[in-house]
Amino acid sequence: MTDNNNGMAAVSVRDLRKSFGPLEVLKGISLEAQEGDVISILGSSGSGKSTMLRCINMLEVPDSGEIRIAGEMFALRKGRHKTEPTDRRQVDRLREHIGMVFQSFNLWSHMTILQNVIEAPVHVQKRNRAECVEEAEALLERVGIADKRNYYPAHLSGGQQQRAAIARALAQRPKVMLFDEPTSALDPELVGEVLKVMRSLAEEGRTMLVVTHEMAFARDVSSKIVFLHKGVVEEEGDPGEVFRNPKSDRFKQFLSNER
Amino acid sequence: MDFIFMWEAFLTLLPGLPLTLELAVTSIVAGGILAAVISLIAVVGGPIGRGFTRGYVFVFRGSPLLVQMFLIYYGLGQFRPLLQDLGLWVVFREPYWCAVIALTLNTAAYSSEIFRGGLQAVSVQQVEAARACGMSGPLLFRRIVLPIAVRQALPAYGNEVILMLKATALASVITIMEVTGLAGKLIADSFRAFEVFIVAGAIYLAVTFFVTRLLMIIEFWLSPHLRMRPPSLT
Repeated sequence: MTDNNNGMAAVSVRDLRKSFGPLEVLKGISLEAQEGDVISILGSSGSGKSTMLRCINMLEVPDSGEIRIAGEMFALRKGRHKTEPTDRRQVDRLREHIGMVFQSFNLWSHMTILQNVIEAPVHVQKRNRAECVEEAEALLERVGIADKRNYYPAHLSGGQQQRAAIARALAQRPKVMLFDEPTSALDPELVGEVLKVMRSLAEEGRTMLVVTHEMAFARDVSSKIVFLHKGVVEEEGDPGEVFRNPKSDRFKQFLSNER
Repeated sequence: MDFIFMWEAFLTLLPGLPLTLELAVTSIVAGGILAAVISLIAVVGGPIGRGFTRGYVFVFRGSPLLVQMFLIYYGLGQFRPLLQDLGLWVVFREPYWCAVIALTLNTAAYSSEIFRGGLQAVSVQQVEAARACGMSGPLLFRRIVLPIAVRQALPAYGNEVILMLKATALASVITIMEVTGLAGKLIADSFRAFEVFIVAGAIYLAVTFFVTRLLMIIEFWLSPHLRMRPPSLT
């Protein structure tokens, strides 16, 4: 195998396989994100794109394959029934460097927005509380909801909640950000405000893996497109190129359906 | 109705109130701790833990508290020599401790189910969000699972607290002179069941009034996230 997989790619996925019972969802996926890459992962429902993303931070444990974050590989071993992480503490430590944004926001309902944002820095990363608050306020300012810092998630619109969730993930000072269909649960008029924030993150050179159905975002913002179909990478490449000249019939069909 | 007699009855029953409250507080606290342990075993103890806790709940929820109290107070008296050998007789010869044990074991069964429900209703999504940022084990439990579970379990648990407060009245049948015990004695002396029980009932009502207020305050304090923002702040 080539050496650059062991180098300092921000995220490197090699030959990822995952089944749920008899259903094989991922059939050997490889993917690499260099620092500053924004990779949009496209695919129809059931193509395995969310499962793939969730394997990167071990929310789903793959059956086989290698996942590296900034060069460090998640240690996995064969358990009695399924593959499992060798060292739970390594998983926790690597997860600290991976910010995750979920489709349904998943903010902690019993905490204010500010408390949500400082939770991981203060209690997981054990950073100084006052500094974390200062940083959190700057992040909330940046995503445009500084005035909502003392509100609870239930008091915010979906778009505001998702922006708070993005601020929460950024507060971890992550090396890579994972977005799992971040706008799919939003009303159409709220999608724009979230995409705007994501666009600004891409512009400042953050490494992002985005599972999305937003074709305009994928085309304009990402540095690379990966199209999954039935658990394999069916097409990948530069967005300008793949959108103009899609090679696979599946991707052509997918594009015509999405438009 | 004879209000002067009722006032006298009130003054006769009132000295029983501290004992009623002591029974209630002791068994609610002890039962709550036991229930917390049982619910944790049910949730994280695997099939064996779940089986054990199911059995416990089945027995203590499925039989009358009065029968449990009789079993512990009268029933265990048959095994006095054995209990004396074990040094436990000092506990089981006291009706007070027999009542506390029965109340504790009983409320632990009900409360453990309430706590288990609260724990299991914590959404997978909130837990996943915590895992995704590197939380696990005790930290995840303390910061995310427990605070959410407590909020979910509180309304049902408040009910259980009130039920327990009233269940202490059963202790009167094993000779304990709490409010209901004193009421029985007064009726035996005066033959005026109606007035005496009205007064006894009113005393319980007054106590539960304060307990429900207290529970409401705790619930209010724990649930700012469920209240609408005042319009001036939006």
